[in-house]
Formats: sequence, C-alpha cells, structure tokens
Amino acid sequence: MDPSLRPIPGEITEIVGGLSSGRTSHLLACLGDVVERGETAALVDSEETFDPESAAHAGIDLRRLLWVRCGGNRELALRAADMLVRCPGFALVALDLGERVPRLPPTMAFRLKFAVRRTDVALLIIGRRRLTGSSAALALETLREVIEWAGPGPAPTRLARVRTTTRVLRARRGETARPPARWWST
Amino acid sequence: MSRFACVLVEHFDAAAVERCEPALRERPLAILKGLIDDHGSGPGSSSASRIMTTLDANAAAREHGVRPGMTETEARTRCPTLLTRPWVEEYVASARHALLEAALAVSPRIEDGGQGLAYVDTGGLERLIGDPEAIGRRLVHQVRAIGLVPRVGLAASRTAARMAAATGSAAVTVVASGRERAMLAKVPIAALELGPELGATFGRWGVRTLGELAALPREGVAMRLGLPGLRAHDLAVGLDRDPFRPWTPPPFWEEAQGLEWEIDSLGVLAGVLETVLERLCRRLAAVALVADALEIRLGLASGGHHARDVALAYPMSEVKPMLTLAVLDLETHPPPAAVVRVTISAHPIRTQAGQGGLWQPPAPAPRDLVTVLARLSALVGADNLGSPVPIDSHRTDAFTMLAFSPPAEPAPARRRRGDPPQRDAPPRSFIQRGRLALRRMRPARRVQVETAGERPTRVDTRLVLASAGPWRASGEWWDREAWARDEWDVVLGDGALCRLARDRVTGHWYLDGFYD
Repeated sequence: MDPSLRPIPGEITEIVGGLSSGRTSHLLACLGDVVERGETAALVDSEETFDPESAAHAGIDLRRLLWVRCGGNRELALRAADMLVRCPGFALVALDLGERVPRLPPTMAFRLKFAVRRTDVALLIIGRRRLTGSSAALALETLREVIEWAGPGPAPTRLARVRTTTRVLRARRGETARPPARWWST
Repeated sequence: MSRFACVLVEHFDAAAVERCEPALRERPLAILKGLIDDHGSGPGSSSASRIMTTLDANAAAREHGVRPGMTETEARTRCPTLLTRPWVEEYVASARHALLEAALAVSPRIEDGGQGLAYVDTGGLERLIGDPEAIGRRLVHQVRAIGLVPRVGLAASRTAARMAAATGSAAVTVVASGRERAMLAKVPIAALELGPELGATFGRWGVRTLGELAALPREGVAMRLGLPGLRAHDLAVGLDRDPFRPWTPPPFWEEAQGLEWEIDSLGVLAGVLETVLERLCRRLAAVALVADALEIRLGLASGGHHARDVALAYPMSEVKPMLTLAVLDLETHPPPAAVVRVTISAHPIRTQAGQGGLWQPPAPAPRDLVTVLARLSALVGADNLGSPVPIDSHRTDAFTMLAFSPPAEPAPARRRRGDPPQRDAPPRSFIQRGRLALRRMRPARRVQVETAGERPTRVDTRLVLASAGPWRASGEWWDREAWARDEWDVVLGDGALCRLARDRVTGHWYLDGFYD
C-alpha cells in the first residue's frame, strides 16, 4: 500500500467518493494492512454493508477485527466511534458512513481529533462526502477509471478488476504527490 | 517457639459496620438491635413493644460508658454524640469471612475461633516471613487491608495467643517460649468464657485468675469437676487439648449491604454497588485472587429479588471496570422496584501473571477493552458486536458473529527465503491485496429487472450499460433450504457497479450489493 495513503496514527483520515469509486476497497486494504502487523482494528459500520467474505478473501484475520453494526443509525455510529477512539490499543478505527453522511458539529469534530491524538489511534472515515472539515489531517477522494471483464466466450461472465485513482483533497503534512492508479480484482 | 497466632478484632459488630462506613471509625458508635418487650406499654396491656438495645459499641463509645445491653435512651444519655446503626447480619457475616480470608493469605492453616477471632498455625512461616514479630505484623497488615483493625498475639498455644492479643497493649504481642503460664497467671478467669455453672463454682472457691486455677491440683479438679474442669485447668496452664479445626474458604465470595432507605435511581445504586465492590475486591486482592463472574442480587422493597449474572470478559479484581459492567447490565435490565439490599458474589479464580512479547504490537488492555465492549453492547446491542466468521458454505452472505477476543499471539511473521513454512500461518500467496470490496445490502433488495434473453437490460428505471454473467451457484439441494441463483455483475447508467442475483427457485431478482 502506498505509504502516503495510509491512515495516520493519532490523526483523522477521510476517504470520500461516489458509489463504486473504490473507497470501500481502500478501507479493506487499510484494515488488512493493520491486521497483518498483528494489531487490532475496529470497523463501525453505520449501514451494515461490510462483507466478511470479501475481507476473508483479502486474507484479513477477522479475529483481530471488531465489527460494530449500527443498523443504519448514524448517530449511534458516531457515538460508537467516539467510544472506540478513546480506547487505547486499537491501531485503526474505521467509520463507514455510507451514502448519507450526517452533518457533524465542529465541536464534535474537534472532540474526535483530540481523542485520537491522546490515544494515538488512526481514525479513518469513509463516506460520500467529507465530515470533519479541517480536523482531518488527510482527505482523499477515490475515482473509478476502468472496468475489466472476464469470461471464456465473447460475452463476459464475471467482473475481473477495476482500476481506481486517488486524489489528495487535504494533506496537513505538506504536498503529497498524486498516488498511482490501482487495480482491484474480484 | 511460637506456633499459633491469634487475630482478634474487638467489638466485632461495631467493627463490621465501621468497615462498611469508614467515616464512623473515630466517632462513638453503638449497634442497636430491637428486642420485643413482652410487658407491653402499660398495666393490662397485652401488646408487645419493640425496644432498641445496644448490642455492641466501639472503643470511642465505651470511653463514654456505653455498654452492650443498655437501651438506646440510656446509651444516648451517657454519650450525647453517640451515632447508632442497626445490626445487619450480612455486615457481620461478610466481615467474619473477610477476616478469615485475610488470615488465610498468611498461612494455609487457620481456624475460625468465632466472631472476630481467627487462629493461625504459624508452623513453618519463619522461613517464609521471619520471626514471630514479623509474622504478627504481616497478619496485622493483611487484616487492615480488608478494613478491620486487629490485635495479634503469638504463643505456643491458642489460648495463650488469644490472651496475649486481648491483654497486650501493642498491635502485636509475642509470648516467649516457656513464658505462657506466667503471662496467663494474671488474666481473670472470666476470659476463658467457661460455662456459667463452672464459672460460679470457681467463684465460690475464690479462684479469680488463671494463675490461681493453674495452682489447683489437677487430680482434685478432675475428681470434683470432671472433664470440663480438666479442660479449664489445661487452658489455665497454657495447654490446648482441643483439636485444631482448619477452616477452608467457601466456594463463593460475597459482600452485602443492607439499606435503611429505598433506592430507585441507578445513579445512587451505583454508589452502593461501588462500596460493596470495593470491599469484595479488597478481599480478593488480599489473597491474590481475581473474579471472572459476578452475581448481583438486589433485595426489592416489594419483597422480591432481582438477580443478575454479570460475566466478566477477563478475570479482574479492579473496582472500576466491574462497576461499569454491573451498571451497564442493570441499565439494560433494571430492577422492577426500589432496592433495599445489595448482595454481590464473585466467582474467584487464580491467575498467573504473564509478560507480552517484546515485538508484539500493543493491543487494547483487557480492562479498557472489556469496558468499551460493554458500553458498545449497551449502545448497539450485543448481537451487533463481535468478530465476523464466514461460514463454510457457498450460500451468499453466510457468516456468524463471535465475541471479540483478539488472539494474544503475534501475527505470523513474514517468511524469509529459506525459512521453513509455519504450520498455522496462511501462505503468503493467499494474502492478497487489492481485493475489490462488495458493499452488501442487508437484506438483499428486491428489484424489477427487464431482460433481453436472460441478460438484464434495465434495473428498476436505470439502464444497464454493461453486464457479465450468469455466474451460477446452488446448494443444499438435498435439504429443504435448497437454493439456486444466477449472479450478474452490471454497470448501471449512473455509474454504479453492482451485483444482481436472480433466484432460480422463485424467479425474483435481487440487488446483492455494490462493488466499491
């Protein structure tokens, strides 16, 4: 994984993008990166869209992943994330807000910012649009470029892979070079 | 060489209350118990009235002349600043257990000598702890840790040790070997607590002290008073003929608190729970035990009970996480009526301390983890929390949730060239990166699909730009839960890349989710 795209410990990172733009695949890669190092991660899933099968196929040790399902209630999701970032020891807390990102008061964003700084947890938020404004140290936008199909005959029978690119919207630690495009296979 | 220690807590009923309310320790305190007055309120009256009498008093109250047996009015007359508390059986029982457990932390052989009294066999402790003085200090330390103030005597016999504890001016009194009889000689004979008949006999004979009793001829005492007399004589010369009855702790650890008022708020109840848990945890810590489960029993004003079992995710002896778990559990399952009594039992286990690996990445501390899991469980529900485990099935979205418990061992290390393969580690080739994730719809949404042949061309109102399929899957055809479906990957007009599925049993189309 490109080091410039990794969630930063003790900071808030946001990944935004439209549906099928690759943001969830990026989230999965971040979770896999953390879990492979033997660390513990948590995923607060506001819409219960996480697919354990995809994660298992990606080689993620699901025993090190705490999955919190919030049944579509974003207020609960925000409160759950707030609790988790205050628990030292989690290397990554991911908050998946899905398509309907709520308005977050600036005070709440600052609360989250200072909480992750105190516990050195990396908070990763993904959603349709940005949530925490200037409290995020890194904000990325994912865009889909190419779709490739596969199949034995002229008519494809399966999706093969998707190429996405990433644009840096905000990087507090100076200019970041445009990350290379990336293929995601099924 | 001293072989027995006696741990004595004076005015035990008062001490048991002071243990629950430490602020009372320096103030005059009397423990009251209601007695039924059969004489009634006046001549000719047949109704019985309840008179509060003093059952016990602490040292500060006794300095003012308050003694057991006095009525409350008489005690208050002697000591206007007297504080009173009702006698609560649970306080005394808890304190008695706590005292014995504290003694057990020093020696494996102890005897329950009654209320506020524990005998400790100190044989062999010299090599572990030191001289008798050090053993005594260790006992004092252990008993003070559980909230009681003891006096300790050490001697060759239990009776001599008890008399040394009762008459000594210091916290620890050691009777040198061979000096037991001399020490006992000045002790009043009433200290032996002989039966009233035997005591009256010795009184008629003019025997007032143990020294005078020991001076009597043994054969003569045996001839006139029989076995009870012989036993009294042996005790007076410092000989214990009674067998040592070792005490073993019961399989439960319990602390209780009776309330003079009704509690109907969880916030106030939390304060009481904290007090009870503090006492329980101090007892556990005194004998190096931890608890892995709590049982909370709340006595209700309606007369019933509300019982909750609180499983602790990891063995602990800290008050704070225990209290958090207990309060969260009671928030989820509140008592149906006001609470008038709190009893907490712990299931104790012994743990062995371990050290984490030097290269092991930090994980949430068990105490923090169990607290945050309990809070999350109260927030989103226990079923919505845990680690997902895919079920070994071709059925779509088949998984189950397990309680979150990250493995303690570090993740499999990266293999270097030439290293032997690790048995339990997944091969590196299987750990693939750049997997396309599917955002599941739960439950899968039923959609209207127009097709050309079998290929979808429109989903609800959205045009299909490209599609791939069908990917056929089926399973459990041997069972009632048989399923069969065709899966299609399609790109919709708004750019969404999704997975459709046609149920071949019902013919319905479903939107499984979006690739993202």
